[in-house]
Amino acid sequence: MASDDLLQPARRQFALSGIALGVAALLPAGAAAQTPAAPAQASGPIVLHGVSPRLTVHALDTFHGAAATGLRIDFSRLEGASYKLIRTVTANANGRSDEPLLIGESYQAGDYELLLHVDEYFTRKEAKLPTPPFLSKVPVRIRVVNVAERIHLPIQFGPWSYTYSRGS
Amino acid sequence: MTGITTHVLDITTGRPLSGLQIELYDVATDPPTLLNKTRTNPDGRTDAPILPAASARMGQFELRFHVGDHFKAADGLSDVVPVRFAIFDATQHYHVPMLCSPWFFSTYRGS
Repeated sequence: MASDDLLQPARRQFALSGIALGVAALLPAGAAAQTPAAPAQASGPIVLHGVSPRLTVHALDTFHGAAATGLRIDFSRLEGASYKLIRTVTANANGRSDEPLLIGESYQAGDYELLLHVDEYFTRKEAKLPTPPFLSKVPVRIRVVNVAERIHLPIQFGPWSYTYSRGS
Repeated sequence: MTGITTHVLDITTGRPLSGLQIELYDVATDPPTLLNKTRTNPDGRTDAPILPAASARMGQFELRFHVGDHFKAADGLSDVVPVRFAIFDATQHYHVPMLCSPWFFSTYRGS
């Protein structure tokens, strides 16, 4: 019971956070500065259950406890012996690409690379790190085998670690 | 201790992953230069540091873990997992472990 009571307001907060951002923009600068720092949750959880086959990505910054908004990702496909750039995407307010990386006709079996510009991301965040940093350009290489199945790719990263997995 | 060491653990069994092929490349060169190629021992480590202390230097390196050959999962998420990182201070030790399953990969600077 107690945990339900605690969870419900949190869920409402997710739903309302978009509105709160709009309100914050209307407040005087002083009021905005007093707002406690909190993980950026620009929108609520996104449910992908039942959607058509596609490749989606979600990048989270574990150093700041927030969506990796602004993270640049070069998305490439292995052609012969080298990875050929398909396009570069930037993680949106929710840490996702605005559009799926692959969907419909473009969702083809093959080997793909997401090159995460982690160095550029933490430089912009003014994180104090060695030069060069431990992680600079992080390649995440995945294989799409069955295009009848959707692949969601959550990536959690910090300046000293990263994790990726098959999600849903 | 200096140089690079690694340790591979299979999170599906909770045990070290032995017999996994690992390579170390210098990725500051184009194409990357193979520095070492070995397999993990029964403890999931390499018998000798993959970059020995005597060879420790600043630079950009990449470990490649051949997980696909090991797991042989038809729908495995990754075949070869690269971990690209810098040695920014050659007097430090860089322990870079890999925790994995066919659908999950995690790495970090350890100690």
